[in-house]
Amino acid sequence: MKRDRMPYIPPAERATPDLDSGKYLLMWQGPQHPGITGNMSLRLVIEGDTVVDCETHVGYLHRGFEKLMERRSWMQNFPLVCRIAVPEPDFNEYCYAAALEELSGIQIPEKAVWLRTFSLELMRLASYLMWIGGQAGSFGHGTIIQWSATMRDYVLDLFEELTGGRIYHMYIIPGGVRGDVPAGYFKHVLEVMDTVQKNLDDIELVMYHNAVFKLRAEGLGYIPPDWIDRYGITGPNARAAGIKRDLRKDLGYLAYPQLEFQPVVGSKSDAFERARLRLQEMYQCIDLIRQCIDLMPKEGPFRAKTPNPLYWKVPAGETYVAAECTRGEYGFYVVSDGSEKPRRVAVRGPSYTHAVSVMERLVRGVNIADVAGLMVSLHTYPPEIER
Amino acid sequence: MDIKDFIAPFAVWKRAFEKPFTVKKPIDERPGAPRYRGFHINDAQKCIGCGTCEAICMNKAIDLVPAAGYAAKEGDSGLRPRVDYGRCCWCALCVDVCPSGSLGMSNEYVWIDSDPEVFRYTPGVEAKPWDGSPLGYRRAEGYRLLEEQRVEMPELDYKEAVQTFLELVRGYSRQQAEKEADRCVSCGVCIASCPAHMDIPGYINAVREGDMQNGLRLLYETNPFPEACGRICTHRCEEACAIGTGGDPVAIRWLKRYIADQVELADYGKVLPRAEADSGKKIAVVGAGPGGLSAAYYLALLGHSVTVFEKDSEAGGMLRYGIPEYRLPYPALDKDIGYIESLGVKIERGTAVGSAVALAELRSRFDAVYLSTGLPAAYSLEVPGDKHPRVLDGVAVLAAATRGEPLGLGKRVAVVGGGNVAMDAARTALRNGAAVDILYRRRKEDMPADPDEIREAIAEGASLVEKAIPLEVRDAAGAIAGKQALFVWNEARMVQKEDGKRPVPEAIPGAVHEDPYDSIIAAIGQGPDLSFIGEADRLELRRFKPVVDGFGRIAEAAAGAAAEPGAPASASPSKAAAVFAGGDLVNDRKDAISAIADGHHAAQGIDRWLDRKGS
Amino acid sequence: MNELAERLARRYDAEGWHEQRKDLASISIPALRVRDVLAWLRDEEGYKHLSFITAIDNIERGVFTLTYTVRNHDTKHSLMVHADIIRENPVVDSVHLLWEQAWTYQRELKEWFGIDCPGSPRKDEEFVLEGWDQLPMMRRDFDSLAYSNATYAERPGRVTHDPAAYMKAQLYPEADQ
Ligand SMILES: Cc1cc2nc3c(=O)[nH]c(=O)nc-3n(C[C@H](O)[C@H](O)[C@H](O)COP(=O)(O)OP(=O)(O)OC[C@H]3O[C@@H](n4cnc5c(N)ncnc54)[C@H](O)[C@@H]3O)c2cc1C
Ligand code: SF4
Repeated sequence: MKRDRMPYIPPAERATPDLDSGKYLLMWQGPQHPGITGNMSLRLVIEGDTVVDCETHVGYLHRGFEKLMERRSWMQNFPLVCRIAVPEPDFNEYCYAAALEELSGIQIPEKAVWLRTFSLELMRLASYLMWIGGQAGSFGHGTIIQWSATMRDYVLDLFEELTGGRIYHMYIIPGGVRGDVPAGYFKHVLEVMDTVQKNLDDIELVMYHNAVFKLRAEGLGYIPPDWIDRYGITGPNARAAGIKRDLRKDLGYLAYPQLEFQPVVGSKSDAFERARLRLQEMYQCIDLIRQCIDLMPKEGPFRAKTPNPLYWKVPAGETYVAAECTRGEYGFYVVSDGSEKPRRVAVRGPSYTHAVSVMERLVRGVNIADVAGLMVSLHTYPPEIER
Repeated sequence: MDIKDFIAPFAVWKRAFEKPFTVKKPIDERPGAPRYRGFHINDAQKCIGCGTCEAICMNKAIDLVPAAGYAAKEGDSGLRPRVDYGRCCWCALCVDVCPSGSLGMSNEYVWIDSDPEVFRYTPGVEAKPWDGSPLGYRRAEGYRLLEEQRVEMPELDYKEAVQTFLELVRGYSRQQAEKEADRCVSCGVCIASCPAHMDIPGYINAVREGDMQNGLRLLYETNPFPEACGRICTHRCEEACAIGTGGDPVAIRWLKRYIADQVELADYGKVLPRAEADSGKKIAVVGAGPGGLSAAYYLALLGHSVTVFEKDSEAGGMLRYGIPEYRLPYPALDKDIGYIESLGVKIERGTAVGSAVALAELRSRFDAVYLSTGLPAAYSLEVPGDKHPRVLDGVAVLAAATRGEPLGLGKRVAVVGGGNVAMDAARTALRNGAAVDILYRRRKEDMPADPDEIREAIAEGASLVEKAIPLEVRDAAGAIAGKQALFVWNEARMVQKEDGKRPVPEAIPGAVHEDPYDSIIAAIGQGPDLSFIGEADRLELRRFKPVVDGFGRIAEAAAGAAAEPGAPASASPSKAAAVFAGGDLVNDRKDAISAIADGHHAAQGIDRWLDRKGS
Repeated sequence: MNELAERLARRYDAEGWHEQRKDLASISIPALRVRDVLAWLRDEEGYKHLSFITAIDNIERGVFTLTYTVRNHDTKHSLMVHADIIRENPVVDSVHLLWEQAWTYQRELKEWFGIDCPGSPRKDEEFVLEGWDQLPMMRRDFDSLAYSNATYAERPGRVTHDPAAYMKAQLYPEADQ
């Protein structure tokens, strides 16, 4: 098939390929997907090995969280929310807890603020470690994922030690956190941080200074800066386009105003730039974790009192609490009618636009072999789309 | 593209000789972290089966099931949580909320079986390899989902309190009451411990919801003395309170009082039920104490017309003439009684049965009779000299205080006894300006009085003399003879006579003390006065107690067997109305709530008996 | 910020400005003005970023309350714009021309609440559900527990006891006589 016969697709419009013409192939990618992109599927129309059209299909994970939350008491939702983003659950816990605290007028203790900040950065690191393996793997680098999965496991060990769970930590409970750090914990953390940092140095050499990766990622999935607001793009995907936005800075929640860091921004806005930026953010995570350990108060309560969990009635009202997760703006919109259960909880995940509107646009004209790499470069998690 | 991009990847070959991150195979034991949320463990001895774990579990993974070796008893439902791992999500909220702290998690996470049914078990009851594991998730120090501390009750300062008969306990404000009510988890384990089986979670929830009318309605379902009981109840429920297993029990009694205090007597009628129709039956109740009036209330609700005969000039029994007003102010008691009277219950005050009217007469004039005459006769010290004029009877002193008569106790007063009557007498004496010694045979921890009462008596200035066995009362010598008495007592030590029994005091030879007092108040117990029951009534008594059935009906001697020749025909058991009895007269608990429960129960018994008679 | 509230009130009959936090406020507008208001906020007031769109089923009042949350990145301020539409005939203008991701939210509104946004691309296609034939699931009158009980079987062998009732049966059964 000749490339020059590809139909012209006006930038803002979708092609309507004539599937009966025999020129196109309809192909599903997913929902079985061993990468970090999870159970989502892309309905691709390809001509030769080039994608002409794409539709994102979600729903394979859908468990109706938002509806379930309306049936459970405020506290019972605490163990539920983390499930909304499997590889990065803690942001759910934080946003939900912070929304409840805001609506109920609960001030959490200083120590809890720091432990939350610390655990969210640790989460960010774990999540990026998973991403980097996926990014390398989707371009055929099997080695990186072996390394990064190991590093992530070390971080999960740290979570296990702190919270009793590896994946679902259920640590950030409304009112504060569920426990102070165990004895000797920060020593372990610092050891792991050193190991991870060393490993990241290796990864940088092997992956980022690698002709194959560069060739395939550079220029792939270019997001023009004027798309950022039009598509509601956030997080590294926006920063790689030169848009300096980071909710940790912009909203100044938790202990971030006391931490020293600058949002990492790029300019080229392609898959390679995004990957480079995320690597820098991983180093930044390690730095922030070290800062947290230094600055955190050693003593003090880690949880404020909350009403009896069986009967907690949150005063009527609504709020939207957002936080910067690895993929961008993660938020919980919580509405209370003053009863023992939420009236409405809506979860805003960055993938909602990244994996649907943005993905569907960017994938047109991409070689079929690069679709997975592109998807991972947008860092998408389907559960936060379907909730 | 840079040359580096071709060479750099090879740089990591340098790691080829480093120790690998991978773990050896076969994989070594990999225990979960010390805080790991693994399979549940439960200290089944400590667990009281309150089911709060079941209530919080968002996955409905927990069932409460009867457990072998754990029978239901006061303060323990006999049930234990059973976890279904087909549902559990390992959140450990159940562990966090567990009031007793019995529930935890081990750090064990490997359990393989081909039978899916086994992954459902009762931790601590069905043995598992991880039982007793010291590692695993526990609620962190300093972290509780439930409030351990009771909302402090505003009270008069003791120095101030002892100057007056004003009510010591001021009562909760709305905010305090709602906060305290919010500590309750509505498990209902307390209900069995309440003699009246009040719907405790129900009315506490009413406080939480701010629905006083519903609260009052729930109170009156089982107890028409909420103002009184909300102040002076022995609150056995609080001993069974699940929250009390890991902190202060919920202040159930104060919350009851709070509800009753909030509703005006004039509004009671709008909330509380009334008899649907007049039954045409007449019932006589003897004694207007809480027991008699409780029976009267429930009989009136059933449509019967009730007349209460009371020997004293005021109704209330020991609640009025025993309990001092700083604990139970008369207006509060009057409110309870006032509502009962408003239902048409007639109280014939100053009418003693036995002298003013005979029991036999009541039995012929009424369709049934309920006796709740209490324990009016005080026990004496039973030592030489106990008839000395300065030896007074505690209940009589308290009754005199109620009547407003001068007590003339003098400056130094000894109170002998360790029960609530002793505490009340001591504190009444303190309020009359006396210096008070409380002398008790055993140790402080053996005293039957409510610990709060003991604490308050001491805080108000009474001094407690433990292990003091009374020997004798002697008249003081000289000019004060007859005005003062010498109290002679022997110091004792506690001796474990029999294993498993409580130790008994044994006099220490030679350790005899002699102290002069202006008054010696004996408060060592009371007995009944059943002189109004004659042989001819053929009511069965055993050890000064009527013998009653499950509904409080007094057994009657078979016709003829015990009948005196020449007994009046009207007293014939076949014709005479049945007699029921309850309260202090009959039960062993001897507190207001038991008398109230007896009254309620007897009202139901009388109603059935009337029904069965079909007349 | 209150100047914004005033401008919104003057131009679009907006009301009920509520300051939730220093960086978050809410306001209600007539549903007919949704597209105008959002376009104006985006183009004139700097609220360029759409965080999300959702709805609340206020069944008691017979309305769905729409929530459009937009952010002004320069002032770091977010605004939750509310509009009530009647439940009986829930239709609202589509804003898919303002933001490229809006159509997905509108497709979600259709599937989850039955709210129609005429003109929104692919609005009638299934979103997360497949073969759904019940009431739209996020409506308050869709009873998810009843649905689950009717659709899925309980695992047999489970039985539980209420402590109070069990204790009554064990310790004082006579109370029920
Ligand atoms: C000093 C003191 C403190 C106490 N403190 C507490 C406390 O804190 N909490 C608690 O729960 N309980 C307390 N009690 C016990 C409680 O008061 C009694 O358990 C309760 O009053 C018993 O009720 P009743 O109806 O059986 O008898 P009573 O209350 O004794 O009532 C019996 C009534 O019958 C009348 N009567 C007797 N004989 C006749 C007759 N022949 N004809 C007509 N009328 C007659 C009496 O005058 C009296 O009014 C206390 C008791 C005393 C003495
Ligand atoms: S751990 Fe969580 S899900 Fe499991 S039984 Fe306890 S409360 Fe239920």
